[in-house]
Amino acid sequence: MKMTRPLNPFRDQTRRHFFSQCGMGVGAAALATMLGEKNGSATDQVENPLSPKSSHFPAKAKNVIFLFMAGGPSQLEMFENKPDLTKLNGQPIPDSFVEGKRFAFMDSSHRRNLLASRRTFKRHGNSGAWVCDLLPKTAEIVDEISIVKTCKSELFNHAPAKLFMNTGSGQFGRPSMGSWVTYGIGSECQDLPGFMVLQSGPRGPRGGAVLWGSGMLPSTYQGVPLRNQGDPILNLSAPSSVTPDQQRQLVETVGKLNLKRLVATGDDEIATRINAYEMAYQMQTSAPELMDIRDESQETLDLYGIQDPQQASFARNCLLARRLVERGVRFIQLYDTNWDHHGGSTETLEKHFPSKCQDIDQPGAALIRDLKRRGLLDETIVIWGGEFGRTPMGEVRQFTGRNHHIDAFTMWMAGGGIKAGQVYGKTDEFGFGAIENPVHVHDLHATVLHLLGLDHEQLTYRFQGRDFRLTDVHGQVVDGLLA
Amino acid sequence: MLKLGLSVFAVLLVSIAGTAADTQAKDLRFSRDVLPILAENCFACHGFDEAAREADLRLDTKQGALGSGIVVAGNPTASPLIERINSKDPSDQMPPPDSGKQLTDAQREILRQWVAQGAAYEKHWAFQSPQRSEPPSVPNSRHPVDRFVLSRLSDSGLTPSPSADPGTLIRRVCLDLIGLPPTPAEIDQFTVAFERNPEIAWQTLVDRLLGSPHYGERWGRWWLDQARYADSNGYSVDSPRSIWRYREWVVDALNQGMPFDQFTIEQLAGDLLPDASVGQQVATGFHRNTQINQEGGIDREQFRIDSVFDRVATTGTVWMGLTIGCAQCHDHKFDPIKQEEFYRLFAFFNDQDEPSIKVYDPDLDISAITAQKKQAERDLGAYFVSHSAEQLDWEHRLDDEAKKKLPSKVTKALAVESQKRNLGQKFEIASVWQGTDHQAFLLLKKRYDELSKILNNAPTTLVLRERGTPRKTAILIKGDFTRPAEEVTPGTPAILHPFKSDHERPNRLDLARWLVSPENPLTARVIVNRVWQQYFGRGLVDTENDFGLLGARPTHRGLLDWLAIHFVERGWDLKSIHRLIVTSHTYRQSSAFRGDLAEVDADNRLLGRQQRLRLDAEIVRDVALVACGQFSSRLGGPPVYPPIPNAVMSQGQVRRSWKASTGADRYRRGLYTFVYRATPPPSLNVFDAPDGYSSCTRRNRSNTPLQSLALMNDAAFFEFAQSLQRTIDKDGLEDAFRSCTGRQPDESELELLRRLDSLTAARVLLNLDETITRE
Repeated sequence: MKMTRPLNPFRDQTRRHFFSQCGMGVGAAALATMLGEKNGSATDQVENPLSPKSSHFPAKAKNVIFLFMAGGPSQLEMFENKPDLTKLNGQPIPDSFVEGKRFAFMDSSHRRNLLASRRTFKRHGNSGAWVCDLLPKTAEIVDEISIVKTCKSELFNHAPAKLFMNTGSGQFGRPSMGSWVTYGIGSECQDLPGFMVLQSGPRGPRGGAVLWGSGMLPSTYQGVPLRNQGDPILNLSAPSSVTPDQQRQLVETVGKLNLKRLVATGDDEIATRINAYEMAYQMQTSAPELMDIRDESQETLDLYGIQDPQQASFARNCLLARRLVERGVRFIQLYDTNWDHHGGSTETLEKHFPSKCQDIDQPGAALIRDLKRRGLLDETIVIWGGEFGRTPMGEVRQFTGRNHHIDAFTMWMAGGGIKAGQVYGKTDEFGFGAIENPVHVHDLHATVLHLLGLDHEQLTYRFQGRDFRLTDVHGQVVDGLLA
Repeated sequence: MLKLGLSVFAVLLVSIAGTAADTQAKDLRFSRDVLPILAENCFACHGFDEAAREADLRLDTKQGALGSGIVVAGNPTASPLIERINSKDPSDQMPPPDSGKQLTDAQREILRQWVAQGAAYEKHWAFQSPQRSEPPSVPNSRHPVDRFVLSRLSDSGLTPSPSADPGTLIRRVCLDLIGLPPTPAEIDQFTVAFERNPEIAWQTLVDRLLGSPHYGERWGRWWLDQARYADSNGYSVDSPRSIWRYREWVVDALNQGMPFDQFTIEQLAGDLLPDASVGQQVATGFHRNTQINQEGGIDREQFRIDSVFDRVATTGTVWMGLTIGCAQCHDHKFDPIKQEEFYRLFAFFNDQDEPSIKVYDPDLDISAITAQKKQAERDLGAYFVSHSAEQLDWEHRLDDEAKKKLPSKVTKALAVESQKRNLGQKFEIASVWQGTDHQAFLLLKKRYDELSKILNNAPTTLVLRERGTPRKTAILIKGDFTRPAEEVTPGTPAILHPFKSDHERPNRLDLARWLVSPENPLTARVIVNRVWQQYFGRGLVDTENDFGLLGARPTHRGLLDWLAIHFVERGWDLKSIHRLIVTSHTYRQSSAFRGDLAEVDADNRLLGRQQRLRLDAEIVRDVALVACGQFSSRLGGPPVYPPIPNAVMSQGQVRRSWKASTGADRYRRGLYTFVYRATPPPSLNVFDAPDGYSSCTRRNRSNTPLQSLALMNDAAFFEFAQSLQRTIDKDGLEDAFRSCTGRQPDESELELLRRLDSLTAARVLLNLDETITRE
C-alpha cells in the first residue's frame, strides 16, 4: 500500500459505500435513478475518506489510547528505583555521563549534582516491577503492562519535544501519529471523528493544535478536540434559537439541493459533501450520547475514581476514552498538563508532583481493568508517557525539582499485542542513559504502527518530491515489546 | 515483433499517464523519459549523495554510468545495468527487492531502448532555460494558452468543453481575481453586456477586477501562504506579534502592480537597497514570519539557527521550487545540491539582526510632527523657566507631613535637584502644583501629549537588518548547530546559473538579484505555475513545490516555458499573466463532468474542461459576508477578531484573550482575522487555511463533517444567515439564491426552499456546496 499524494483524496472509494452512507431524505432507489442519469462514472468512486481501509498485514490491535503526560513526568519518582542516586545525593554526576551533552536551562538553574529520589519504591506483581508509593493502583496492574525504562527522544524543550513525540520530527508541518493512523486505516466509527483529543489539567499543552495536526495530510485526518465544557465538538449544537425540526429541515434540504447539483455537474466532491452533512448530523446525536455518562454504573465511576460525572478530569477522560473505543474511534489522545516539575514554587517534587500522580494513578489503572473486563484490551493499545523524563541531577531553584531529560525515560504500554507483565530496557545506576534495549521515539512509533498492521516504511505520503513517513528514515519495531 | 510491440506500448503508457512532456512521444528523451525512472528507483544509492552512494557507482552522470562500464552505449546486452534490472535472482536484481522499489516492464524497456540508442544524458528539464517556441497552430484559436492546450487535447483525440454561461463566468472570475462574489446586479449588467459582445464584456470585466483593490487582498493571501504569515510567535508560548504592516505591504505591492522581480528584491533584501524606504524595510518581514520560541530554558542560538534553516528552505521552495532544505543534514539524495551549497545559501541569511521598526501612517508628515513636538517641548521648557521661582517657593514651603501625602512619583521628582529635572519629572510636579497661568500650561501639555502619542503609538513591524559584522557560517554536521565543520562563504548551487556580486562578501541583495535574473531557469516557471494552479486546481507541474528530479513532469512543457518567458519579457508583470490566463478559452470552459474526457483523462490533466474548486477558507467567509450584505470593504489595518467559539483559546499553553470585534470590524474579510498559530481560528482552520508554521505553496481541499458543522452552527455564520433572512423577506428567495450561488434557481429548487421558514432557507443557502465552490 504505497500511498502518494492524491489531488482528490477521496478516490478509490466504492459506489456501494456511497449508497449506504447517503440515503437521508432521498430514497436510495431515487438516488440511484438520479445518479443513473449522469453520463459517466464519477460517483462510482465516492466514499468517506475515514472509512476503514485494509492494513498492510493482519493487525493485532484496532485502536490506540495515548495518555500523554504533558511536561515530562519524573521517571525517578515513579518507576526508576536507583539506590546509587540516593547514596550519592548531592554529589556531582561523573563527567563521563554529561560530557558534550546539552540540557534545558543550561544558562540558569541546570546543575550537575545528583538528586536522590523523593519517593520510596516496592516491587510489585509477578514481573517484580518497581513502582513508587504514589502509584498504588498502577502497582496493581503491572502484570498487564510493559514498563519501558529506556525511551529516548532528541529534543529537550517542551514544544519541540512534544512535536517530536507526536510527529517523529521537531519540524513543524508533519502529521501526528493519530493522523497517520487514520490516513492509513481509517476509522470504524462513522459518526464521530476518527482521531479525538481530550484535555485535563490547568491549561492546554504547549504547542497547541499542531500536536494533533495533520501536517501535509488533508485536514480530514487532523485530531478533533473533544471538549469538556460547552459543545463537546466545536459547533456541534445548533444555535439556541433553532428547533430540532428546523435543523433537520436544514440538513435534508441542503442534501437534496446538493444532490441536484451533483447530478448537474457530475462532481464527486458533492457526493462527499452530502456524506459529510449526513455524518455531521449524526454527530449531533452521537457526541452528546458519548459524553452522557449517566448510563455508567456507580461501580464503574468508582473504579475510575470519578466523583462528579459532570466535572472535567483526567478520570472522566479515561472513561470517555473507553467509550470512544467502544464506538470504534481509531485514535484517542488524552493530554494531562502540568507535569513539569523543575522545583519552582508551583512545580515541586514534594508537593505538586504527588498531586499529579494522584490525578492519574487510579484512572489509568482503571482504564486497563475496564478495557480488559470488556474484552477490549486485546484490541486496544494503551500508551502512557510524556514528551521526555527528568534528569537524575537536581536543579537549583526555590524547591526541589529536576530538569528535562531525553536520554532515558519511562513510558508504559499495554494491550493490543503488547507483552503483558514485563519491564523492558535497563538504565545505568543513576537512570541517566540506557544500558540495554534503548527504545527511540521512532521505534515506539514503528511498533505502534506494526501492531495496527501497518509497515512504518510503507505508510508514506508524497510531498515536495519526497515520501514522508511517521518514522522519517528511522525506526525499528521493538520485538521485545510484542506479545 | 514482440519487442517492438512492447516498446510502442511503453512509450504510449508514458504519454497517457501524463508523466511525459507535451509532445507525442516519438523519440526517447533522456530528461523526459529516462531520468524520472533513474531518479525514482536508482539515485537513492547511486546518485548525487556521496555518503549514501553504494558500490562507488553513480548513475546521475554520464561519466558515472559509462565510465564504470555499467552502461555500454548502444549495446544493451553488454550492459550490466540492463542485465541487473532484468535479473530474477534477488541477490542480483536491481533495484534490490528489499528497497521497496520495483521497475515495471515498461520502465525496463525504456531503459533498454535508451541504452540501445546511445545512452545520451542531458540536464534535468527544470535546470535548462525555458525554451522559446511558437504556440502550435490550431484551427479557430489565436490565444497562445489555448493553442498549447488544444493541440495537446486534439493529439489525444479530445475536444475542449464549451464556454460556461455568463453567470458562471462572472462568478468564477470574480472569485479568482478578487475573492469576492458578484452581486446579482453585477451579474445582470455583465449578462447584458455579454450578449452584446462577449469578448468586450469579458475584457472590460477582467480589467475592472484587476484594477480593484480587492485584487491585492485575494492574491495577497496567495502570497502570504507562501510567506508563512500569521500574527503570533508560535511554539509553546505563542505571544501575539505585530507584523501586519508586512501584510499591508504585500497587498499594496500587488495592487500597484509591482513587478515580481522588485517584489522579490524588496522582500529578501529591501533593507540593503540604497536609501531603503520604510516600505522596503517593512517588506523584509517576509523572512520574519518564522516562529520565535519563548519557552523557558531554551538555547536561543539553537532556535535562531532553526529560523535560518527555515529561511533557506522557504527561499528554495518559494522561488526555486526546490527542496533545498533536504540538503541541511547531507547532500541532497536526488537533486544535485550539496550540503555545502545549502550552507552557502545559509550564509546569506546568517548575518541579520531581527529588530522591529515603527511604521507611521503614510498620510502623516512625521518630520513636521516631530518639529511641532520639539516646539511644544521648548514652549513647556520656557513655561517652567518663567515659573521656576514660583515653583521653588511652593516646594520650599512643603513640610514633611505634606510631602508624605504626595504620590511617590512626585516625591521622587522633588528629590532631584531642581536644575537637573527632566521634562517628565517637571510634569509630575506640575500634577500637584498649580502655578499662575496653569490653564496655559495645560493647553501646552495637551498639545505635547497629542504629538507624542502620534509619534509613540505607531504600530511596529518585524524586519531584517544586516549586521555590521557578519557571523561565521560553517557547515553543520547533520544540521546540528553544536557541530560546526568547515567554514563557508555565501554562494549559490553550482547546477544553476552563475552568481555575480560586486561586493567582497556577497549579500542578500545579490542573492535576490540572482533569483530574479532572467538566466534563472526556475523562478519564472515556478511562479507562473503557482498562478496557474490557482485557476485550475493544479499546476502545469503538479508538484508545485518540487521542480527537482523527483518532481512531476510538466503536463504542458511548451506552455509553461512560453508563460515563463512571457512573464519575464513583460517585466515580471503578474497582472499580465492573470489577464492572459483568464482571457483564454481554456479558463472559460464549462467545468461540467464529461464521461468521454473521464475515460481518457480522469484527472483532467489535459484541461478538456474547467474544474470545480472549493473556495479557500477566507473566501468561504467572504462569500457569506457579501451574500448576506454585511461585508465591510475596508482595506488593511491591524488584524481583527470576529466571534469564535468560547473554548478555542484554551487549547494553547497560555490562554490568550479574544475580545470579539464590534462594528464593521466584525465583518471584515477572512484575510484580516487574527491568526494565533497554536490556536488558529477554527472556521478558517477547518477549511484548510495554512497554520503559518511553514511555507504553504498549495492548500489542501478537504471536505469534512466539521466543515458542515461550522457552516451550519458557527455563531458567525448564523449571524450571516440572519442577515440573509432579511434579504429573503425583503427581496425574495431568488435574489438570496443568486447572491450565494450567482445563478437563478430552477423551479424545483425554489419549491424545496419555499417549504422552509426564511431563516432556515437562508441557512440552507449558505450551506450549499455551490455557495462555497467556484464552478
